Amino acid sequence: MAIRERWAAVLAGLSLVLLPAALPGGTPGGPSLLPPAQAEQPQGQAKPVLRIGAIPDQKPEKLNRLYPLVAAELERQLGVQVTYVPVVDYTAAVTAFRTGDLDLVWFGGLTGVQARLQKPGAQVLAQRDIDVAFHSIFIANTGSGLKQIRDVKGLTELKGKRFTFGSESSTSGRLMPQYFLAKGGVKLADFAGGAPGFSGSHDTTIALVQSGAYDAGVVNEQVWRTSLRDGRANRAKVFAIWRTPGYPDYHWIGQPNLDQRFGKGFSRKLQGAIISWRTTNPQQKQILTLFGAQQFSKSTAANYKQIELVGRQIGKIR
Amino acid sequence: MIGLGLPAVIRSKLRNAWTGRVWTGGNPNGTKTGLNWPTGIAAPLAMVAPALVLIPVLGLLPGLVHGGGFDLLAEFIQAAFSPSLDPLVLGSALKGLGTTVGIALLGWAASVLLGLVLALASSRQVWTSCCGHVWPANLLRRLLALPRSIHELLWGLLLLQVVGLQPAVAIAAIAIPYGALVARVLGDQLDGLPSGALAALRCSGVPAPQALLTALGPPLLPGLLSYGGYRLECALRSATLLGVFGLGGLGTELKLCLQSLQFHELWTGLWLLLAVMLLLETGLGGLRRRWLMPRRLGLGSPSSGSPRLEPGAAQGSGSGRALAAWAPAGPGLASPNPARPWPLPSSPLAPESGAGHRDQGRAPRPDSLGRRGREMVLALVVIMPLLVWLARAMGVHPLGLLHWQPLPNLGAASWASVLALPWPQLVGTTLLLTLVAAALAVGLAPLLLLVIAPWPWARPLLQLAWALARLWPPPLSALLLLLLLKPGLVTAALALGFHNLGVLGRLLLEASDDCPAPAELALKGAGVGPRLALLYGRYSGLARSYLAYGAYRADVILRESVVVGLVGAAGLGTQLLESLSSFAWDQLLALLVVYALLTLVGEDLSDRARHWLLAPT
Repeated sequence: MAIRERWAAVLAGLSLVLLPAALPGGTPGGPSLLPPAQAEQPQGQAKPVLRIGAIPDQKPEKLNRLYPLVAAELERQLGVQVTYVPVVDYTAAVTAFRTGDLDLVWFGGLTGVQARLQKPGAQVLAQRDIDVAFHSIFIANTGSGLKQIRDVKGLTELKGKRFTFGSESSTSGRLMPQYFLAKGGVKLADFAGGAPGFSGSHDTTIALVQSGAYDAGVVNEQVWRTSLRDGRANRAKVFAIWRTPGYPDYHWIGQPNLDQRFGKGFSRKLQGAIISWRTTNPQQKQILTLFGAQQFSKSTAANYKQIELVGRQIGKIR
Repeated sequence: MIGLGLPAVIRSKLRNAWTGRVWTGGNPNGTKTGLNWPTGIAAPLAMVAPALVLIPVLGLLPGLVHGGGFDLLAEFIQAAFSPSLDPLVLGSALKGLGTTVGIALLGWAASVLLGLVLALASSRQVWTSCCGHVWPANLLRRLLALPRSIHELLWGLLLLQVVGLQPAVAIAAIAIPYGALVARVLGDQLDGLPSGALAALRCSGVPAPQALLTALGPPLLPGLLSYGGYRLECALRSATLLGVFGLGGLGTELKLCLQSLQFHELWTGLWLLLAVMLLLETGLGGLRRRWLMPRRLGLGSPSSGSPRLEPGAAQGSGSGRALAAWAPAGPGLASPNPARPWPLPSSPLAPESGAGHRDQGRAPRPDSLGRRGREMVLALVVIMPLLVWLARAMGVHPLGLLHWQPLPNLGAASWASVLALPWPQLVGTTLLLTLVAAALAVGLAPLLLLVIAPWPWARPLLQLAWALARLWPPPLSALLLLLLLKPGLVTAALALGFHNLGVLGRLLLEASDDCPAPAELALKGAGVGPRLALLYGRYSGLARSYLAYGAYRADVILRESVVVGLVGAAGLGTQLLESLSSFAWDQLLALLVVYALLTLVGEDLSDRARHWLLAPT
């Protein structure tokens, strides 16, 4: 009896081992670590998929609302399958672009330059109307004792305060603000604790400054305005102290090999699709509203020379 | 100080018990070390001594608290009682949990397999039996130190740069350092096994492979299983941590929720993760007891100089021995006093014979003969298809790891900028961070247990707090602490210390529960308070092996210090994240080399500390 039991167990086990091998294909619907970027490597001749991504500069739920809309719209316009691949931080977006896991990415100024330097031949496709002269807003908690300042020299008031940037690689939440801080004579070591914080995203910066965890911070103007409008930023607790001069920021960048994979002239078509979005189309209006823009326009790499320069000065581009 | 409250009679008895029997305090010749293990009354106090670091830390805290985030913290605590039950949130948390568990299981399985192969390849006994040379084993051992010295997070981030986003990255990131660790522990165990049986088989003409399997396989098995189980628990924690840095799974969700301050959603994920972690720990604990494997605190020497399985330890003898099951016995072999092979008294007050053969009462019944073997085969049979299914469901393509992407060539490396980094400050901060975090974790665990000793109801609360501490990846507790504290070294140390307190506390609790009770009962009977009875009744027997484990933990903390880099001003870790986001490969390389050197030195120091603590005197 015992021996038979044992054999039954062994047989059952063996059949279990062999079962998955007998099943056809992969198991769909299981947990998937990352979207199936691997399966659609460029070699795949059957129906290439356009994988779009974005730097995670805002709350994930907003990104998850916006980019699937973008994917659907591009799919409709271009007639190819488009999927949105979320990434967890700015650096990961750059890396994923370099390793070819993302075809079209919404980058910030700095990350865009980093991505193009790492992937020669990558094409700058389009930017928003507001990206030509984008602004950062320095914000402060009302209990911090900080007041509105008039010019870049006034930033010295921030010395000795608890201060947070957004992401390390953010243009509007770190790079340009750090540039202006340096102009105003503020070093990073001048902040309380000997270093600034890096909250990770603009929304978080607002929440942390509003809570008082940090006395002050710096965010991208568009996110700041949106937060004021929808009431998430409480004017009684957090207020703007300074608006920086303008600089070029966000833009769409595409892989160099899009034409080879999707057919001749695909990059032009893609660019044309993005800049054709208008507020008169309800679908496109929703997208543009979430982007905080009226429309997109063509852009070129030359627009980001200044960012590259500042990036090199600060050591974020090497 | 505590000793003053102890009745004089007991005090003198205690002193006699120790000085007369086992702990004569250091080396009589005084040649081996300059330090002496404290004797008598002071002995168990050494265990609590690291908690002294609380004095400067508490002194600094008022200056660090900024009070800004109390509202958020209150919100966070409230949210613990009302996690979001929205099906969407639950669904995505469950999916993330599935991925995390999948990464942990696959990474763990790969590491055990890898470790077993490498252990055989780096075992001196195996090489001597097979070809008569020892040098390949020694060479491999040295080489294995490198993958071990780099934290799994760094492996993950590096692999991500080289092979791109793919599920296999997180799995390989766990498998590589863990595999090297398992190889070290098993290799040392293999070489520590008595070689008599092997020699006998070889002499009677049995070929090397068969002889090795027959002579070394069975004695190695309990150690392999017990250590393997422990690694699985670690793998779950590591997989969560990797997620926090964007390598997929629940960790990613946890970080996003915390960053956007959605505490209700955060707690949904946390409670689920806690359930899985406790289930895993209880399940593994059950199996360990059922299969009579060595217990855990002794697991503290995976990287020790020459840990070995003491003959007898595997049979589940008294707690002191079980504790030390894998503790280094290098000096033990060369012990001047071979009559006393193991230095740890089960309990200073209990007679040696009464040192509790815990499992003696459960002598194997006839029908349970071979049960363990059957069950192990069954477990293996269940796990194998599960792993295959998981790998398929997650879309893991191991071959994808071979598809390397060239690193971008961003101009020539500028070594001037590498040299310009504030190295002394970076290294100093990292070391200080490690020491403070380690002292907090090692000292607080017994201290807290002593504090709550009189109140039985407080124990489950403490256990829950520790479970949460283990569960909560250090970067997340660091982010949470930032709501209250200014960024900096102390904040980072608190986050790291808290996490490791959860790990250490549980091991200590387990070990002290395994400790025989008579000593404590006797002390209580004599009118000693519950705290003192616990301290002198139980901890005195555990102090050395606990501190030895603490030394190992300090070594782990040094490696882990990279993960709290996001708190800012936290040494090498902070600089590493900054260099990574600048894609400064030259700086990154230099930082990695320094980190590896530091951890190798740290490993050596912690080995020495452990040898000293566990050496027979």
